[in-house]
Formats: sequence, structure tokens, C-alpha cells
Amino acid sequence: MKRIFIDAHKCDGCMSCSIACMNAHREDGGDSVYTLDLTDPKNQSRNFIKKNPTGGYIPLFCRHCDDPDCANACMSGALKKDLATGLVKYEKEKCAGCYMCVMNCRYGIPQPDTSLHYMVKCDFCEGKDGPSCVKACPKEAIYVKEV
Amino acid sequence: MSECTNCFSSRTCPSADKPLEAFIRSLPMETSHHRTEGQSTKCGFGLQGVCCRLCANGPCRITPKAPRGICGADADTIVARNFLRAVACGSGCYIHIVENTAKNLKNTALAKGKIRSEESLYRLAKELGIDGEDVYDLAVKVADEVLADLYKPDDVQMELIEKLAYSPRLEAWKKLGIMPGGSKSEVFSGVVKCSTNLNSDPMDMLVHCLKLGISTGVYGLMLTNLLNDILLGEPEIRFAPVGLNVIDPDYINIMITGHQHSMFTYIQDRLLEEDVVAKAKAAGAKGFKLVGCTCVGQDLQLRGAHYTEIFDGHAGNNYTSEAILATGAIDGVLSEFNCTLPGIEPICDELMIKQICIDDVAKKKNAELIPFNFDTRKEDGDRIIDELIEAYKNRRGKVKMNLLPEHGNKNTLTGVSELSLKKFLGDSWKPLIDLIVSGKIKGVAGVVGCSSVAYGHDTLTVALTKELIAKDIIVLSAGCSSGGIENCGLMTPEAAELAGPGLKEVCKTLGIPPVLNFGPCLAIGRLEMVATELAKEIGVDIPQLPLVLSAAQWLEEQALADGCFGLALGLPLHLGVPPFITGSQLVTKVLTEDMKDLTGGQVIVDADAKSAAEKLEAIILEKRSALNI
Repeated sequence: MKRIFIDAHKCDGCMSCSIACMNAHREDGGDSVYTLDLTDPKNQSRNFIKKNPTGGYIPLFCRHCDDPDCANACMSGALKKDLATGLVKYEKEKCAGCYMCVMNCRYGIPQPDTSLHYMVKCDFCEGKDGPSCVKACPKEAIYVKEV
Repeated sequence: MSECTNCFSSRTCPSADKPLEAFIRSLPMETSHHRTEGQSTKCGFGLQGVCCRLCANGPCRITPKAPRGICGADADTIVARNFLRAVACGSGCYIHIVENTAKNLKNTALAKGKIRSEESLYRLAKELGIDGEDVYDLAVKVADEVLADLYKPDDVQMELIEKLAYSPRLEAWKKLGIMPGGSKSEVFSGVVKCSTNLNSDPMDMLVHCLKLGISTGVYGLMLTNLLNDILLGEPEIRFAPVGLNVIDPDYINIMITGHQHSMFTYIQDRLLEEDVVAKAKAAGAKGFKLVGCTCVGQDLQLRGAHYTEIFDGHAGNNYTSEAILATGAIDGVLSEFNCTLPGIEPICDELMIKQICIDDVAKKKNAELIPFNFDTRKEDGDRIIDELIEAYKNRRGKVKMNLLPEHGNKNTLTGVSELSLKKFLGDSWKPLIDLIVSGKIKGVAGVVGCSSVAYGHDTLTVALTKELIAKDIIVLSAGCSSGGIENCGLMTPEAAELAGPGLKEVCKTLGIPPVLNFGPCLAIGRLEMVATELAKEIGVDIPQLPLVLSAAQWLEEQALADGCFGLALGLPLHLGVPPFITGSQLVTKVLTEDMKDLTGGQVIVDADAKSAAEKLEAIILEKRSALNI
């Protein structure tokens, strides 16, 4: 099973990970980062870079927790821990938009989508050759590790 | 824990020039081609032009959750401001070049020095309506008029432009209110506009870009060529060697880089004088040779008919410079402008190559600065020569040669200009127009500008050129694009085989290649003159011609200023990568769509050679049918 690990001290706050995430999940069919609409709120990043008040940055990435707060709080069964891959998976069709996941995640990863009907969260870029954020990080502040 | 800081990537970027690619990959030193890997992750905000660091609140970046910078500037303002800043800088570079060229012409004339082409002087003076008592007086007056225009305030329109630009274009520019004031002032107001919390109107800034484009094109490009023709001699069509094979290790070799050929006139003559050659011989060399690199090398190659003895040939473009030095056979670099890459510095250090810079605007860290000064050119020239001889003596025997004698070719057609081409065609444009009308030549594409490496060295330029000629579109090239295309053999008559049936027949009949080499990027001004002459002959405006431009591998800000000239001329302009504008839908739409209704021009962005060529061909066919041919 693979997870994204974070070396916060290496993060420069460039947000290449956020752009890569938005680009990987865009709905308009484009793939070039040149054409990603950075003014369209629908392009939501599933990772976040926050300023650390004591210096540096805090990269926030979904940990696909072993004991996931989000899935534990999900009443509709839209969020589930996949024991084979270790990923916390989301089934949009089952989502009731109650946002218990948003309120319960201790890392603040799940977000309401812009239509306020669903949630968005890291899907580990399933189907792609590894998470796009990791590939885009110029500092190797995030990396994939077998656990 | 210690970190290794001396190693470098063993992977290099691909090059269209395969022997060069293999050579660079085998080098024991790092080049730009190696560094592309370490710089392969690009910042998305930077690529889209939506990062603003004009004030201490920044850098601010536009995201869906932060659609405005702290000051309130939105994506359109930030993109337009960044773009104008780049165009203003690029324009400033070219205006610096024409200013120095005019000064050199004036000083040469005042000193009654060598005017290599009086014919060019009389022709230009006639066009500008200037009379003089003798050749020197005339040259001074021409130079003075150019300088007077450059120094006008931005609210006073320049004058020579009225005589140099094509009248239907002048009319269109006046209608749009984009006639430039004094070139230097336009650059000045351009940089003022895009400073902190000044202009926020993207349209106003884009209009300013067009003004800068016109000023750059007519003065920085066209006039620099015409003034250089007077001082340095007119281009003559001939065959010449290109590539690393031009380097002869038996000589003291000086690689020249820059754009200001007139700064070399004194020294390039002096290097052939008996006493200087004797000094070189005493040091163990056969004499001196200039090895061409970047645009000043292209310019020397263009005028090579006048410099067969001192000039070895053009070795390569900007991103070939490190390889040229790595041969070990270069003893000194004499530079005066871009593209003198900072990456040559460690190579010069390692191979004990003397760097001398003659214009402080392009001062290199490791170079000795001996600024070109017309009054002290003799003493300075001798000092430079002595330093180069010293470098030769110090390094030869200690530095290993790593030559590539089989690189490039010996029969690249060079020396093409608006004059030499017309002369070649029998002093008339009619034969070319007839070929276009008959469809044997479908249209004309100017493949111009730079070479870049981030996505491959000359890869798109060369692939696009091959696609275009295969479609019977004749290619005219100017800039570092020429350096890549010629080293890949597309400017030899044998390249006719790669052309479509119509163009192939034309090339074979005339004994010419399907790509005509106009030399340096400055010669984009010559392409404009060819376009004007063709338009005049047919009686149409420039945007109506089956003519397209591509700066496929544009690299720098100067290319963006050139590009704005292309747009002002009303030409379709293809770029391989967008000029950091896509973060603004407004700016992107104006440049790629709305411009068609303003000047007739349009930007086309496409990184794929095949589909880009198809788009350019479609435009050419559209223009042909509008002309009923």
C-alpha cells in the first residue's frame, strides 16, 4: 500500500502541487497546465499549503488514514476505507452532502464542492501513474512510500 | 551529511541536431542541455503569467479561491502587466542595438573611416529624402536622423517611419492610434505603465505593446540592417560551411556572440593586418579566425562574402555556444549582447578561455570589460588582441581538444536579403509571385526567432520547417532558428528532396534549398521588407499575402517585441509555447482572436509541428483564395 509522505521543511510554498491537483481533476477535458482556468472556482485543489505561523509551510495532504475520521463519520457510506489499496474512497452517488466528513477530518482535507452538493477529496489520482501532486513537487517535499 | 554539488544530470534534452545531441551528452561538463532536467518542473502560476511580484505584498498568485492579488489586480491586469514589461524590455534591447549602430555609422563617417557599401547609403538616404555633400556628410546625416527619432518624446511621432513603413500599414496604424513616439521614450512609458499600482487596463497595455512592436520592427530591426549594410557591406548569396566543422584549431579562435556587428568592424579588419598576424604566428598559430555564434555570427555569415579570410563560418546558435567552447579550440569569447549564456562562464573557466565583453549591458561575470569606444578603438583593439594571444599561449597544450569535424555541412546557402534575393530572381519579384500564383509555391512562412531547450533544442523549429516545406510552403528564416535549421542541413540544395513536389521542382531548377537563410533575428526586418515589396508589387496590404510567421521556439523578451511587430503587420504568428498569457482569458482572446479585426494579425499557439503546419497551411490557403489564386 502506498501513501503520500510529507517533508514539511522542504516545502517552499510554490503550490505546484495544488495546480497539479486542480489540473488532474479538471472537468473540461484539457490537460495542459497552460489552459487550466485559475479563475474558475470549480477547479478545486484537494491539497492545501498553509503558512506556518512559526515559519515555513504546512503542506496538507490526505493521509488515507488507517482509522479515517471522514469515513467513520460518513452516514451514507459514500466514504469507505478500501482495505486492499489502503485508500479512503469516495462514491459521489451515495453522498448526501451532510459534510460530517468536512467537520470530522482532523487535517481539514475534505471540502464541500462548489455546488454544495458533494465533497471533494484526494483520490490518489487513481488510474494515473501516481499522484499528480507528487510528480509536480520541485523540492521532493512530498513523496510516495510503500507502507 | 554532505551533499554532492558537483555532479550534473547525465541526461540531456533532445536536439533536432543529432550529432550535436550525442556530442553534448558525452561532454565532461554541464551545459544548458543538461540543466533542462533539473528545471523540468515549471511553476503553473508562472506559466500562466498570473504571478505578480511588483510590490512587497507579493508574490500574489491567482487561484480560484484568490481571484485577485492583495492590491485588487485580477488575472487580466497581472498578465497584461507582465506581458508589457517583457515587450518593453525586449524593445529596449533592439533599440539599444540600433542606437549603437547609428552611433557607429556616425563616428565612422566623422572619422572618414571605411564605408563598405556606398550604394546602400545612397539608397537609404534617397528613401529617407536626405541629401549630403559627400558620402561622409550623408552618412552623418542619416545616422543623426535615426538618432533624432529614437530620442523623441513619446508624444512626438517619429518621422522616418513614414518613409520606411508600407503606406497601407501606416494608415491602419494611424487609424488604431498605435503610431509610436520616440522609441526610447516608448520603452520608458511602457515600463512606467507596468510598475506598481499604475496601469491596470489590459487593453491599454496591449495597445502599448503594439506601439513597441512597430517601433522595434521599423527601427530596431529594419534600420539596424540597413545601417549595417552601409558599414559592413551588403549580403551576397553564396554557399558557406556551418556547424562545428568550421573550427580550425590551428588558429587563435575567437567566438563572437551578440547582436551588434558594427562594434566588430575595427577589430575584424585589424586581425588580418600583417603585424597582428605576425604576433599570432610568433605565438604558434597560423593567425586569427572569428567563429560565428548567435546572431552576430549569423550577421557575419550573411555578409560573409566580404569576410572570407577572417570568418571561419557560423558554428551554431545560442544553445550551441557551450558545445562550441567545449571543443577546446576556442581561445576567447568576444561578446557584446545576448545571447551570451551565463552557462558559458564555468566552461570558459575550466578550459581557460578568455572572456572579453565590449558592451556593459551584457557584461558577463567572468569577462573583462573593455567597453567599445570609437575614439579609443585602436588601443582597445590592440589590448583585446594581446589578451587573446596571451590566452592562446596559456591554454594551448594544456587543454584537450574535443573537435567534431564532421558536424554541420559545407554548402549552406547564405547571404539572402531583400536585395540579394530580388537580384537573384533577375531584379524582379515577378518570378516569385508567378510561382506563388501558379501554386508551385503555396505560400511563404517566416520561421524566425530563437532556439530554446526546455522542450528540446530546435526540435519544434526543424520539425515544423520540414512539415512546411513538404506542403510546398517556402521557408525564410532569421534568428537562432537559422542556426539550428542550417546545422540540420535544410539550407543545402540537397534539402530540396524534403520539399513537396512544387517547391522541390523550383529548388532544383534554381539550385536553391527550400529554406532561405536571412541570417540574424535582426533580419526579421528584412523579411518585413520582402513582404512589403511583394505586397506593393501585387497591390495589396501585407495581411492579404499568403504569408505566415512562426517563432516556434521563441526564447526571450526580444522575440516578444518582434512578435508584436508581426501582429502589427497583420500577420499570423505561431508560437510553440504561450508567452505566459493564458491566465487571462481577455489577453489570450485579444491576441489569438480579436487582433484579426484590429491589425489582421493573430497568435496561434501549438507545440505540435504537424498540427501547427496544418493550421498555417489553412491560413495560407484562405489568403490565396481571397486573392483568387
